[in-house]
Amino acid sequence: MLIEALKNHWHARQMTKRSWCDWDYLVLDIETTGLDAKQDKIVSFGWVCVQNGTIDLDSARHIVLEGAEIGESVGIHMITDSDVALLGKKQESVLRYLRQLLRKRILVMHHGPMELGFLKQAWQEAALPAFSVSWLDTLAIERTKANRNQQPIVEGGFRLGESRKRYGLPDYDGHDALTDALATAELLLAQAAYQGVDCRLHDLNQMGGGRTRLVSRLSL
Amino acid sequence: MAALDIPEVQKFMASVPPFSSLELAQRAQLLHGVSMLYVRQGQTMTLEGDSATVHLIRRGACEIRTPKGGLVDQIADGECFGVFSVMSQNADGLQVVAMEDSLFYRFEKARFLDALASNEAFGLFFEHTQHNRLRKLSRRQNNELSSPAFQLSMPVTQIMTRQLIQASPDETVQAIAMRMTDARVSSILVLEQGRLLGIVTDRDLRSRILALGGSANSLVADVMTESPRTLSPDALVMEAQTLMSESNVHHLPIVDDELKVVGMLTAADLLRHQELSPLLLMNQIHRQQSVESLAQVCKQWPTLIINLVVTDMKPADIGKVLATLSDSLIKRLIELAQQQFGPAPMAFQFLVFGSQARRDQSLGSDQDNGLMLEREPTNDESAYFTALSEFVCQGLALCGVRLCPGNIMASNLKWRMTKAGWQQMFSTWIKSSSPNALLNASIFFDIRCVYGDDAAVDELLEGMQQEIEKNSLFLATLTRSALAAKPPLGFFRSFVLESSGEHKNQLDLKHQGLALINDLARLYGLSCRTYRVGTLERIEQAIREKRMSVDTAGNLMDAWEQLNELRLETQSVSWQTSGKASAYLDPTRLSPLERKHLKTTFSIISEVQDVAQQRFLRGYS
Repeated sequence: MLIEALKNHWHARQMTKRSWCDWDYLVLDIETTGLDAKQDKIVSFGWVCVQNGTIDLDSARHIVLEGAEIGESVGIHMITDSDVALLGKKQESVLRYLRQLLRKRILVMHHGPMELGFLKQAWQEAALPAFSVSWLDTLAIERTKANRNQQPIVEGGFRLGESRKRYGLPDYDGHDALTDALATAELLLAQAAYQGVDCRLHDLNQMGGGRTRLVSRLSL
Repeated sequence: MAALDIPEVQKFMASVPPFSSLELAQRAQLLHGVSMLYVRQGQTMTLEGDSATVHLIRRGACEIRTPKGGLVDQIADGECFGVFSVMSQNADGLQVVAMEDSLFYRFEKARFLDALASNEAFGLFFEHTQHNRLRKLSRRQNNELSSPAFQLSMPVTQIMTRQLIQASPDETVQAIAMRMTDARVSSILVLEQGRLLGIVTDRDLRSRILALGGSANSLVADVMTESPRTLSPDALVMEAQTLMSESNVHHLPIVDDELKVVGMLTAADLLRHQELSPLLLMNQIHRQQSVESLAQVCKQWPTLIINLVVTDMKPADIGKVLATLSDSLIKRLIELAQQQFGPAPMAFQFLVFGSQARRDQSLGSDQDNGLMLEREPTNDESAYFTALSEFVCQGLALCGVRLCPGNIMASNLKWRMTKAGWQQMFSTWIKSSSPNALLNASIFFDIRCVYGDDAAVDELLEGMQQEIEKNSLFLATLTRSALAAKPPLGFFRSFVLESSGEHKNQLDLKHQGLALINDLARLYGLSCRTYRVGTLERIEQAIREKRMSVDTAGNLMDAWEQLNELRLETQSVSWQTSGKASAYLDPTRLSPLERKHLKTTFSIISEVQDVAQQRFLRGYS
């Protein structure tokens, strides 16, 4: 058992030394009814996958959850009750789908604590097998980079749009989950490109990555 | 779910020809299997393997080059590359170099071929692109020129340093000296809330601290050079060079429109990129001690222009390079004149008009210039300026800038006036209601100060703008004069060619094409509150001040670029074959597609003329 674990650990360490392109990623953005993972609900998921260092647009998904209470947040997200009625999916089935995709991919978010908080909460309430997910946070990467370069960044400078500007990425008007997921994916590509041709996952991970265990409260 | 369901992808595809012309279903088909990639500036992509397919630039700029490094094309947002590799296996081994950090859509080869086959307009568009590049490629291969000229014409953004080392004004010099040493740089930018306050260089630390026995705890604010000279990101290497040598600085922060520092350019950066550039004509001009040796140096001028054309520099940039050169030439001639005749008895400005003012000279442009004097000269003083301007104008002629046939030159007493004199002159033109009077005066409205303090000229221009605003009739008269000439397009969209003489069956690209656009731009430019002198700048200003719709303006700018490119090519060919820089073109020498393009260009001019008539002549005609 121990040897097996050590072997896995060693294997994982070796893997992080490979080029970041050798890994697959799922870049996720979720829209919620508010900021508190305990009280607020997920309204929609948007994601897009990255492989061989390029964004695979066919993998893009935009899923609006069934029965999400929307109310005040409509102004920000532009999702209406009719969208939910028309496209609504069950949260649990979406999480199942997501889990399947994430088994072989690294989760990428801009400002991870928010997405991770909601995912953890959602997992607790769902009857899903526990699992550990490795993640990268493009905001954390951006912050580390600024610190290393001793470049003070003004307030709000780490927001998605502002971060993108530093890499010459275009302005995107929309702020639905899918647009933000795509925008984050492009940011990831740019950040990796700026690390140089030999950018390793290890480098990105050190700048803003981690591993989180998602557990269900309902024992399975 | 497909890529087309991503709003930003959908929006972009719908805005870019020829993708916009595809039907929704076709577009969705094409977008299957699309991926996006990001490439950093300077990186080269060989169109092999996975990359041997069509790429669309979402944001960025690239150059297409031959394996030997020859430039084939420059492309940016909304343009494609890789068409060759799909259509003809990229037999020429073209490479793509990112000139900016760039984001691309990469299409699946099979989908792209399907789209080519199923939509004729779509296919035609790429055939045209391919044809154009082939033409440029063959021209490239026929002209084995190294690319010194290209060095000068590169934008500063290509050689500047983007890693900025920064300090705030309340730091100590010791702190920043350590940071500079760590980063191994010779200068540091002083910023406050992102705004550039000043710069501290090695030299400053030496001369303002060490040499004076200053303290290591001195504040940056006390040592820095305040508001240093800067350049905008679209400046050319050549301009940077001029600015550095003229103001004797070695560090130029590159600052964008929003006053944000985007890079730093040092003399060392310039030096590194100059190895291939034996012909820094400009430096040579600065060094010459006599008119004769200047004339000798300027013999390289036509070759330089042809080089610029061959390396496919944009016409607007060629104009900039030539203007910088002619300006230096004039300045050098004035310096030489003063060595001969002594210092000037009063302050004066050397003004240029017409194409040099607009910065769109080409081969064989002639000179149009004048002087603005600080006050009425005495007889002796007048004699001094006669000698000086005679020296400069004849000097220019010896250097290949022809004397003005209309005698609009500083050597003509009539065009040496005080500011009041010039004001009076402009006032007369502005109040005149005869289009004929304006026809001859219009080049004076393209005016730029090349020597002397330009504040006085700015005042003159401000006064002129105000006077124009008060005399609404002026713009109407100017419109009549601008619309007197029509593009050479017949009723059935055939070219109207010269019917007799030396240029029988040819088109005059300059007088029947470009001049009309310059006239329109001048008209719109003068209707704006802010004075601009270049044709493209005037059109841009007209957009900003909402005198012209973005579409119309965009079309007109494209038309100008296209005609200018064609003119420069025609002139280069004519210069190489006959020694004359003729801008006459035999349309049968163009491919059918090029002819079609040229006709469209002329019809755009016609359309904008109609719009101008509506705007400025309503109620007067």
